[in-house]
Amino acid sequence: MIAALTTPYVAWWALVPLITFAVAGFLLLTVASLVRRLPAVLAPAWTAVAGLGVLLYLVPMWSRVGRDGADSFLAGTVGVDRSSIFVTGILAVAVIAAALISRDYLPREDLPGVELYVLLLMSAAGGVVMASANDLIVLFLGLEILSIAVYVLAALHLRRIESQEAALKYFLLGAFSSAFLLYGIALVYGATGSTNMVRISAFLAQNVLVDDAMLLAGLGLLLVGLGFKVAVVPFHAWTPDVYQGAPTPVVAWMAAGVKAAGFAALMRVFVLTLGTYVSDWRPAFQVIAAATVLAGAVVAVVQTDVKRMLAYSSIVHAGFILVGLQAATDRGNSSVLAYLAVYAFLTVGSFAVVTVVSGTGDASHGLDAYRGMGRRHPALAGVFTVLLLGQAGIPFTGGFVVKLGVLAAAVDGGAYWLAGVAMLAAAVAAFVYLRLLVAMYLEEVPSGTETSGAVPLGALVVAVASAVIVLVVGLVPGPLLDLARDAVPVLVAG
Amino acid sequence: MSTPAIFAAVTGFDPLTGGEFLVAQNIAFAIMAITMLVSAVRMVTTGNVVHAALYLVIVLAGAAGIFILLGAEFVGVTQVLVYIGAIVVLFLFGIMLTKGSFGADDGVGGERRGIAAMVGALVLAVMAAALLDTFRDAELSRAEPSLTADVADLIFSRYIVPFEAISVLLLAALIGAIVVARGD
Amino acid sequence: MTAVLLASAGTSSFPVLPALVVTPVLGALLVMVLPRRRPELLKLVAVSTAVVTGAMSFWLLSAFKVGDPGFQFLSETPWMGDLGVSLLFGIDGISLFLVILTGLLFPVALLAIDPGHDARPYYAWMLLLEAGVMGVFGALDLIVFFLCFEVVLVPMYFLIGRWGHGNSARAATKFFLYTMAGSALMLVGILALAFLHADATGADISFDLVAIAEAQSLSTGAARWIFAAFALAFAVKVPIFPLHTWLPDAHTEAPTAGSVILAGVLLKLGTYGFLRFGLYLFPEASHYFAPVFLTLGVVGIVYGAIVATMQADLKRLVAYSSVAHLGFIILGTFALNTEGIEGGLLQMVNHGVSTGALFLLVGMIYERRGTRMIGDLGGLQKSAPVLAGVFMVVMLSSIGLPGLNGFVGEFLVLLGAFNAHRWWAVAAAGGVILAALYLLWAYQRVFHGPAEGDNADMPDLGLREALVLAPLLALIVFMGVYPKPVIERMEPAVDSLVRHVEFHVDGFSEPVSQMGSEIGPLDDSHGEHG
Repeated sequence: MIAALTTPYVAWWALVPLITFAVAGFLLLTVASLVRRLPAVLAPAWTAVAGLGVLLYLVPMWSRVGRDGADSFLAGTVGVDRSSIFVTGILAVAVIAAALISRDYLPREDLPGVELYVLLLMSAAGGVVMASANDLIVLFLGLEILSIAVYVLAALHLRRIESQEAALKYFLLGAFSSAFLLYGIALVYGATGSTNMVRISAFLAQNVLVDDAMLLAGLGLLLVGLGFKVAVVPFHAWTPDVYQGAPTPVVAWMAAGVKAAGFAALMRVFVLTLGTYVSDWRPAFQVIAAATVLAGAVVAVVQTDVKRMLAYSSIVHAGFILVGLQAATDRGNSSVLAYLAVYAFLTVGSFAVVTVVSGTGDASHGLDAYRGMGRRHPALAGVFTVLLLGQAGIPFTGGFVVKLGVLAAAVDGGAYWLAGVAMLAAAVAAFVYLRLLVAMYLEEVPSGTETSGAVPLGALVVAVASAVIVLVVGLVPGPLLDLARDAVPVLVAG
Repeated sequence: MSTPAIFAAVTGFDPLTGGEFLVAQNIAFAIMAITMLVSAVRMVTTGNVVHAALYLVIVLAGAAGIFILLGAEFVGVTQVLVYIGAIVVLFLFGIMLTKGSFGADDGVGGERRGIAAMVGALVLAVMAAALLDTFRDAELSRAEPSLTADVADLIFSRYIVPFEAISVLLLAALIGAIVVARGD
Repeated sequence: MTAVLLASAGTSSFPVLPALVVTPVLGALLVMVLPRRRPELLKLVAVSTAVVTGAMSFWLLSAFKVGDPGFQFLSETPWMGDLGVSLLFGIDGISLFLVILTGLLFPVALLAIDPGHDARPYYAWMLLLEAGVMGVFGALDLIVFFLCFEVVLVPMYFLIGRWGHGNSARAATKFFLYTMAGSALMLVGILALAFLHADATGADISFDLVAIAEAQSLSTGAARWIFAAFALAFAVKVPIFPLHTWLPDAHTEAPTAGSVILAGVLLKLGTYGFLRFGLYLFPEASHYFAPVFLTLGVVGIVYGAIVATMQADLKRLVAYSSVAHLGFIILGTFALNTEGIEGGLLQMVNHGVSTGALFLLVGMIYERRGTRMIGDLGGLQKSAPVLAGVFMVVMLSSIGLPGLNGFVGEFLVLLGAFNAHRWWAVAAAGGVILAALYLLWAYQRVFHGPAEGDNADMPDLGLREALVLAPLLALIVFMGVYPKPVIERMEPAVDSLVRHVEFHVDGFSEPVSQMGSEIGPLDDSHGEHG
């Protein structure tokens, strides 16, 4: 009765980042439940060290993949290529940043416990699964792990009703989008006979479907499902509410990490797996990208809440990334990866500043809170200025370099109108960042504003480091662009 | 289930095999199918929600039995574990938490009965059409029943990553539930 | 960046053009680390940085090879390898004098006016602005040009917003958004140009201005579209008539130094862009669209003059006079002949010097009287005769009085325009008369008549102010009397540009003499460039 179990080949070396995140989370949870009084600094430090460890481990992994080529294992369900390593790196950076911002946030808001860090690590593990999935089912599971952890993270601020509201909204819409995604996977399976990305793309390359309605329907549903996660128009409506309500360090993670994983998934599913159908999905991507940059920029202008502004600006960024993605070329892919990396720094830095400014209660997100910041906190204001200019895509910041990349990819593919629309939207969006600059530097300090004390260390480190990196990338873009160019996403049969 | 199987269950005569083969299975199927049908009708007509839930248990158990009959033992066991063990229990919890009494409630259904019947008929029609259209007179291979051990092998080899991922997923959900429910 | 730039020095001589960019950046960094409470030290560092930069730019004048139409002082450093962007710098007779103008005006502006508050960021922004402007005039790579073209917005935004008067935040925002929106499509145009060029020639993607311009590999239709994208950006920056509305606000609310730089240098970014990146890259499209720009130029001249006449605010008056002057430059540029372009180029320098000086003088009056309203001023000649005299000279230069610099440029522009399209020239000449009208009338109201109240005891120019104005006055007179050194350096480059345009325009209907020069269009200009 007992047959010998034939275990498939596992490339353990490639699973180390995933295992590190997951095990770090479990261990933290176990230790925290056994030891009554943990030093407050342990959990953030542990999380940051886990992220740092992953980041360091990625270096030998990168060169190994460069030497031996991309690989896939566990019967072809999981792959490792340089794009998945690149995205894992972005996730690790976002984890470190979110942990550092949370270090001061949780005590300030009187929210004890290590759950934030545990869930952060788990959702990072989910993100890694997404970025290296070679199978649609695995991709879906990764997405769910990431999402469920983030639903809870959004609700973490127990005393803020907005936090609960944000979590509920995110959960309901997220559950819907998961259903769409799953249905899409089912239809693609029905049309191609597999959930394995390699087999799907091979099937589509070798067979011409006489009746491809089912596949196209599945493709559309996949786009809806993943579109929700990366918040592109018209699936973006949750973003401002959720960003506004969720705890700010969590928003940093959502904006940087979740988006990176989501776009990595989009790239794997559409560019790699369904690349043969590019002429079918590209028009949809172009329309969505144009609508996203325009709607995001225009609506951002009328916001008065800074977190909502940044939420809409994140929508604009998502549109820009799509502008690069729709090219479905090597240039497009590398521009998307570079954009994701710089955007991660821009956004964690910005939300680090927002965390500091929001004050106890995580409540002051109006423009008022930023008035006269140039005088009260020259250093913080200076850092924020760099980050905002980077988001606006001003030359000699990393923001410009990556915007140039996605535009070049679009123009190279002949999508001139899309590039034009994107640039116009960027000009509109610049107004949003200018409003913040005006508030910080050009408006008087409102009377009665207490001059806030010292800036917490964790958030300061994140903000300063992000600003420095954004500037360095802007001045010396070569290394990042080279990394992104080498981070070619490939599918390898197992 | 194929059309011949249903036909065989009702008439006791299998047109494909001449009625000699698998008679016991057909009889068992007929018993279970009739039980399920009766329970399903009772479930939507009874005035007592707790009774309705219990009738549902019978329907689901019947489905599990049919799975086992067809040689899909893992699916059958899963059906029992997941649907009876978890989902119906969840229903009962829900009823207990939301209702004061367990007695008969005449308010159930009422004027929406017609719509419900329509929806039911529609679902039946769609499913029947889809099944008949898809399988027509193709026969299920009954030679090799799928063993739970094989499924286990697959889970722990080929599908190990999804399996482990689900465990992480459940853990995350568990922590989430605790965090959200803990209050202050 | 410094290290990268300086590393390129190895092959040739000292990379003076990158140094022109890097020196102010270093100065800005130095300023930022100095103690905030020592404004005099900050000023010393800022001014000396600007002076060093200015000295380097003047050194270019002596080292410049007269008679060479090509680019000189070339330096190249690869930058974004994947995209083929490299830090490619070089100047010719067209950009030489704009670089020198920049090198001159920044020390003057820094020395003449103190910010009043927040000295440290003020000096840092001014120096960064200088770096950006130098980058624009020196860049021969389209992306690097665009980067510098865009990045000057940021310092200017802060300078107007933080150290301006009145509703400066609004003016600064308007300025920023107008120009940013204008240049948004230019980036797409640059990318399209480079990719189409690479497709057509089969070469690797590159943004090298000279290579793309000499190849002329685009189809006529594509070139016209891309030219339109470029032209929009430049037209906003210049600004050309219907797009000019940001200018009066920005000028009026800006601090004096900001106005000087804005008028003297920043407005030239647009007109320079037309010459270098409009005509050179798209000769056919420039010719095709020339009537539009000629018309808008003339409209700008007349409109600017009429509106200036009605201004009650002296600074606003000068601002509108800029609109008129820039109309002349556009008119000359799109006459598409040597006289017109040369005149336009000279007018760029002249306008920089004389309008810069006018803004300085208005700023000095404002500092003393606290108002710029013409109605509140009067009879200043009695209390401040030197100031009045200087004002008179600068104003006459702005009007275009023979013997002063404005005359040479304006005359050449009108000559070129007359040769090409005479009715436009006639209309523009009417603008000259209007200019005399509004400036002289303003002068009369401000400086003549009885001096009442505070006007009677307004102090005259101090030594520092006189020192600051002296070089500008000297230039005004020198270039009016003896423009030859300037023209002989400009002419080869302008000539070859005109020939380039003629060569690439079928049936160019210009009655210009050098039609025989179609052998080898400008190959020599590319000679040094590797």
